[in-house]
Amino acid sequence: MSASHVTGPDPGTALSRRSFLQSMGGLVVAFNLFGGPGPAAGAERSSAVPDAGNLDAWLAVRPDNTATLFTGKVETGTGVQTALAQFAAEELDFPFERLDVVMGTTSLTVDQGPTYGSMTIRYAGPQIRHAAAAGRQALLDLASRHFGVQADQLVATQGMISVAGSPDRVISYGKLVDGKRIDVEIGGSGKGFDLKVAPAVRTKDPAAYRIVGRSPPRKDLPGKITAQFTYVQDVRVEGMLHGRVVRPYGVGSTLQSVDERGLERIPGFVQLVRRENFLGVVAQTEWAAIQAAAKLGSTLSPAGPQAAQAKWSHWNGLPEMGELWNTVRKTVAHDYSVASHGSAATAFARASRTLQATYQTPFQMHGSIGPSCAIADVRGNRATFWSGTQMPHDVRGDMAQLLGIPRDNVEVRWVEASGGYGRNGLEQVVADAAIMSQAVRRPVRVQWMRWDEHGWEPKGPPLVQDLRGALDERGRVIAWQHHVWLPTFEDTHLIAAALIGRPDVTGTTGIGEPAVTYAYTFENADVAFHGEGRVGLMTSWLRSPAQFETTFAMESFIDELAAAARQDPLDFRLSYLEDARAIAVLKAAAEAHGWDRRPTGGRAGGRGMPARGRGIAWVNRDDTRVATIADVTVDRNTGRIKVERVVVAHDCGLVINPDGLKNQIEGNVIQSLSRTLHEEVTFDTAHVTSRDWVGYPILRFEEIPDRIDIVLVNNKPDQPSTGGGEPSTCPTAAVISNAVYDAIGVRLRQTPFRPARVKAAMI
Amino acid sequence: MFKTTLNVNGVDHDVDAPPDSPLLYALRDDLELRGPKFGCGLGECGACTVLMDGTAVRSCVTPVSAVGRARIVTLEGLGTPEKPHPLQAAFIAEQAAQCAYCINGMIMQAASLLRHNPRPSRGEIKSALNDNLCRCGTHMRIVRAIERATGSMQE
Repeated sequence: MSASHVTGPDPGTALSRRSFLQSMGGLVVAFNLFGGPGPAAGAERSSAVPDAGNLDAWLAVRPDNTATLFTGKVETGTGVQTALAQFAAEELDFPFERLDVVMGTTSLTVDQGPTYGSMTIRYAGPQIRHAAAAGRQALLDLASRHFGVQADQLVATQGMISVAGSPDRVISYGKLVDGKRIDVEIGGSGKGFDLKVAPAVRTKDPAAYRIVGRSPPRKDLPGKITAQFTYVQDVRVEGMLHGRVVRPYGVGSTLQSVDERGLERIPGFVQLVRRENFLGVVAQTEWAAIQAAAKLGSTLSPAGPQAAQAKWSHWNGLPEMGELWNTVRKTVAHDYSVASHGSAATAFARASRTLQATYQTPFQMHGSIGPSCAIADVRGNRATFWSGTQMPHDVRGDMAQLLGIPRDNVEVRWVEASGGYGRNGLEQVVADAAIMSQAVRRPVRVQWMRWDEHGWEPKGPPLVQDLRGALDERGRVIAWQHHVWLPTFEDTHLIAAALIGRPDVTGTTGIGEPAVTYAYTFENADVAFHGEGRVGLMTSWLRSPAQFETTFAMESFIDELAAAARQDPLDFRLSYLEDARAIAVLKAAAEAHGWDRRPTGGRAGGRGMPARGRGIAWVNRDDTRVATIADVTVDRNTGRIKVERVVVAHDCGLVINPDGLKNQIEGNVIQSLSRTLHEEVTFDTAHVTSRDWVGYPILRFEEIPDRIDIVLVNNKPDQPSTGGGEPSTCPTAAVISNAVYDAIGVRLRQTPFRPARVKAAMI
Repeated sequence: MFKTTLNVNGVDHDVDAPPDSPLLYALRDDLELRGPKFGCGLGECGACTVLMDGTAVRSCVTPVSAVGRARIVTLEGLGTPEKPHPLQAAFIAEQAAQCAYCINGMIMQAASLLRHNPRPSRGEIKSALNDNLCRCGTHMRIVRAIERATGSMQE
């Protein structure tokens, strides 16, 4: 079932575990069976987070022998709800279809860290495995007392426990716990990704898995496909009003005046909310709020800072678009060395041939199809939020800070949103709703307009990368130099907080994981990154943060070296690799593709129409290895690239749900193709100018590949599971660049590869 | 104040909606339907698609005044989890969704296509869906699901 409510129970009152579980249709007493006095029992108005060391925090079993897994991780469209349920059903020996999952809501779930970075299966998976195994052990202990036999004579299977050799002595989990209260401490230490749960419990031998490794259909899809599902955008709360934001004309503009004339004539208009530079409108209906916001200047193409009824100061602090790359180079707060061995300088001096290239990638956006949305109900020193954030437990703390109220008075009820692909506007809109609800003392639902999302969602940052490679007279690489200029992608400040004049109330600007890697075995190497500065627009993590871009540069440049050495690009890579898993995915991709060994660019001299080429690249993203090969055609007249076929070999160890993983890999390939071929945020010196899907086009159906073939490598029970949500994004830009070079002999070193850029490169 | 009657999923509903207001808000906020989604409000992405007399329209740029007595069908009107429309059954069978926020538009656009062209080629399917945007990248499965549905609809 879905964890969301069209009308939430008692807005402003904490959604206690007890009342929530009651609302699920079971008996109250049954839900405390695992936990004794659970976190909310007897404390109906506390919004505290459950104690990870208690079984009750993770699992509930109802008398009708259905069960619920509680997890602080959230579904973002990737299928982790289903995969985590597989872990739990497996260890609990419980029917998968009778187990539902409650995710994210801060008063109901343990904080297992944000849902990002392809880390859910890898880190939350073992936490849930251990909790569920401890649940199974607790049930066996109960059954042991019930039947009066030793636990080792009991058999647990499919939610039933029986006495070995006496098939008539059998009881369901639900019946077993019926009417009793047991307080089971399972042990929990650490927090977030490092949380260790039930460390003493024995988990199953993976070789015995029956549910993990299969592909049961996703739990959420029937509801989504028949319009029975509740997205955060669908949540309606009793007494709720509709809000819209009116953002500054320029990123740093200040609000000079607001002419309120005419607003009161809009049927349903309620109130203007103005605090320093924060401007919003609240109305009885969405349409009234949209009309009021439009009068004040919230439109697709505002004519200027003074053109609408809200007047903003002239602000032109963004760099010129043409100066972006120089600005990135200049905005350096820190320098880091990633790899430095041998003497690159000496090697370059004795090289028989030196290659040098610069790769550039623009600001890109998450581009969720559903604009960010949240509902806030702020009453005095208590606050309830409905949000689709990927980090509900962090948002809870941020809102407590913003509102200046105790954390235990804040609850974030998580409800799934349109896919986010990183930190988009979902955290930002919670703050917008909080400020408006606080002002009108009613629940307020805020949904960003399309231009708010495109204009103000935090962006993936632009990168500039310089590469140099040295070949000796035999065509061997003797030196590799890769320097990356990378602005911060971790600016987590809240826009609304800054607009009300409290920019430091929450959030930080960090560096993130550099994602600048070095994987080859060249004699001399110098790999470094320079950055951490802020370059005009707010930035955040976007699927495979920075590694999509760094893989583009590294894996294209090694192709340049292979071409210069007149060697096959697969063999060239293999001759400088020691990582057995990298070698395995490259070979698996080549085999599935039918790769014929020849130097890249071998067809560059041809005049074929359209020109055909193939490209290869690989990545190691947080221990998942991916190799991708693509066949493309290039129309020399139009500059249009058509991707015919993509082959992906993917090693993330043991796969929990193969079909779910394939869905993710296909999605990564298509989305990264879109980023490669189309996507670039445009801006003038005041603000973002690509504020809709015309200004920021993404890949469409007529451009998708004819085939995406996927090979799962190293999918074995004894292999630890690493992530699958992002890694197959990384190789794509390099693969396409390399394939275009193979087809027409032209190197594309700046994304996106729009036809005009391809044409220009051909001259 | 602005009372008007809309025929939605076979039933007449009185709604209070200004004539120039988009049909989307009458469906979502007055009738509390969840199939049609707000995506762009500009007719650019397709998330809000509904059928108007059997043809796909973007409800975010269709004013209530333009609907008149036309019959509106939303995703809810196609089928239910217990009795799904062949397109819905095919999308479930192919697991053709990720976040699924766009899927309303994909299914409604496909329903419109199949009404006018029951046996579309793969190229015709892609062409019909070309103005529907999906950000998760589920395109391959969506095309497969529609191909599957055309097979089952002919049976």
